[in-house]
Amino acid sequence: MIYGAWTCLLSPLAAAGAITLAGQRISRRTAGYLATLSCFVAFGGAVATFVSLLGREPEQRAVVSTAWTWISGGSYRSGFEILVDPLSVMMMLIVSGVGALIVAYSIGYMDGDPEERRYFAYMALFVFSMLLLVQGGNLLLLLAGWGMVGLSSYLLIGFWHERPSAIAAAKKAFIMNAIGDATMALALFLLIKKAGSLEFGILGGEYSSTVATLVALGLLGGAVAKSAQLPLQTWLPDAMEGPTPVSALIHAATMVTAGVYLIVRTHAIFESAPHVADLAAGLGAGTLLIAGLVALVQVDIKRVIAYSTMSQIGYMFLGAGLGAYANGMFHLMTHAFFKALLFMAAGIVIHALTAEQDIRKMGGLRDLMPRTYQAFLVGSLALVGIFPFAGFFSKDSILAAAMDHGAYGYVLWVAGLAGTFLTGLYTFRLLFLVFWGEPSPFVREHFHALPRDVVGVTLAAPVAVLAVLSLVGGWIQWAPLWHPIETWLQTAAEPTVTPASWQEWVTSALALLLGLGGIYVAWIFYGVRRFAVPRFAFGQRILERKFYFDELYDALFYRPTVWAAKGLYRWVEDPLIAESSASLGQDTRDLGRLVAKVQTGLLRTYALAIASSVAVLAIVFVAVK
Amino acid sequence: MIGPDTAWYLAVAGFLFGTGTLGVLIRRNPLIVLLSIEIMLNGANLALIAFARHLNDGNGQIFALAVMAVAASEVVVGLGLIVALNRKRVPLDVDRLSSLRG
Repeated sequence: MIYGAWTCLLSPLAAAGAITLAGQRISRRTAGYLATLSCFVAFGGAVATFVSLLGREPEQRAVVSTAWTWISGGSYRSGFEILVDPLSVMMMLIVSGVGALIVAYSIGYMDGDPEERRYFAYMALFVFSMLLLVQGGNLLLLLAGWGMVGLSSYLLIGFWHERPSAIAAAKKAFIMNAIGDATMALALFLLIKKAGSLEFGILGGEYSSTVATLVALGLLGGAVAKSAQLPLQTWLPDAMEGPTPVSALIHAATMVTAGVYLIVRTHAIFESAPHVADLAAGLGAGTLLIAGLVALVQVDIKRVIAYSTMSQIGYMFLGAGLGAYANGMFHLMTHAFFKALLFMAAGIVIHALTAEQDIRKMGGLRDLMPRTYQAFLVGSLALVGIFPFAGFFSKDSILAAAMDHGAYGYVLWVAGLAGTFLTGLYTFRLLFLVFWGEPSPFVREHFHALPRDVVGVTLAAPVAVLAVLSLVGGWIQWAPLWHPIETWLQTAAEPTVTPASWQEWVTSALALLLGLGGIYVAWIFYGVRRFAVPRFAFGQRILERKFYFDELYDALFYRPTVWAAKGLYRWVEDPLIAESSASLGQDTRDLGRLVAKVQTGLLRTYALAIASSVAVLAIVFVAVK
Repeated sequence: MIGPDTAWYLAVAGFLFGTGTLGVLIRRNPLIVLLSIEIMLNGANLALIAFARHLNDGNGQIFALAVMAVAASEVVVGLGLIVALNRKRVPLDVDRLSSLRG
């Protein structure tokens, strides 16, 4: 069992190393196959681990395997160890399974790119980093994986390095994430100081409320940055500058959900700091509303889906913050399916339209690419949460959990329900604009069907698999009736909220109705176009500006920094440092000129100086004697 | 010990050294300056040998020999310089050879 877990962890790393070392000795296609194969091997390892865990008693389903002692100093000790328990196995299956499908899709999508090998090496490195994050047996290894996924994300967002916008987006993502990494590191320092260790077990210890709050806040900072929640959410839409499979894998299915995993993994500390947990839930609710609103006016197909990702992770944060860990993780899983599906279907559209992403130029693609349309429709229905698609089962149970959390819970519940209406509206606005109506002149001019070779197959097959998963993936758990995922995660993270059956039913009915309402409104305005889209210039401007978050951070952090630097240059560096170094040189030269006068060039002067000095010395010598 | 007392030898050595020093300080012809330096060196040599005899220690004589070797080399270099100066039609006057002043 342990071997399966180690295989799962190390095989993508081996592929990344092999592709890097082989360089031009292997063809680009081979690099793609190698990376895909390694991810499937990782998935096999994860499945083997899962099966053998299933065979154990629930109490014995947590195994730590230490490879070597990594850091040891004083009484502190950290091993290079992996933790295999129900939670990490669930994440391993999602990461390696969805990852393998997306890497396979990349073979078709990246075909012909001059730097395919670099791309696949990065992708394999990312899968390894993500697996390290979820399997790391202590907080330090988790942080190492955390940092490495940030690095791979940076490398892949900026993959097309000839585009200045991609480089800017990569830097933005890296800096935003670094803020979260820093708060996380501070939390870990505090833990080392107070508990002397970074094992997961210490999180359940007794801490004063200040310490627990500070540690939980630090961890929440990391989670918020990685998962693009308020107030560190601005990097995710820009990250869409990367290739579409990267958006699907990193910025939808796996990495951005790491924050949810972190909260669930460290739930003990959040339970001893309930205000921070409430804050996490509140941030999730705020993000899901804001992202849903902004998504209404976006015109880039990938950005709409990116905002919907932020909004869905908002739901997961809501669940994890409330203590509905299993529901949050369940939504994480179904979201990985349908969001990867949406991104990859969008990728096929972009591919068919020669890299065009503006939905205003699209339209009428339903008849030109019927199967992509069907896949996109399945993904959209799952996203909105329409019975019997995956999102219905996972999203509604999160909202039901909010009803079991007092008055604050009801506020969140209302926010979440409003979010489902927005989800229906923006998702089907996108679908109707892209696929319905008559083909636009742009589409007629640029459309070309998928080729029927390796490229076409690798593009289509993963989408088909994910479409099926988006349909059936939710049937695993239907909260009021059967809940195997909750049972499975029981030992790793026991939920603190238990909604009653009627709450589940009421929430599901309301969410379904609101989702359908959103779809209906979208259908009126964008599907059949019975009415012209109403215009609210003021509101629209706010939404197009994304609630002015970028401008706010510009004014708060960027500009003051630039001003401070300019001021320091003008008032400190120029007069003090630059001036003083110049005058130091001038003074040395003046002194030299003074001393040079002694050098007369007259031989007899020198001789006299020597002779008289010797005479003086001799007299002194004799006198002292 | 046969001959005059060590003090006499030292007196002669001092006289020679003083004469040489005066020559270096007063004369302006580089040739004469070189000659004066030779006289100073010989004064020093005489003192070395006188002390060697007085203390019955051979080291002083060895030093004198070393000084002679150095003096010979120095004269070669010095004379070479003077010949070279003369070839360039530079006036042979140490007071006018002062282009290295600061």
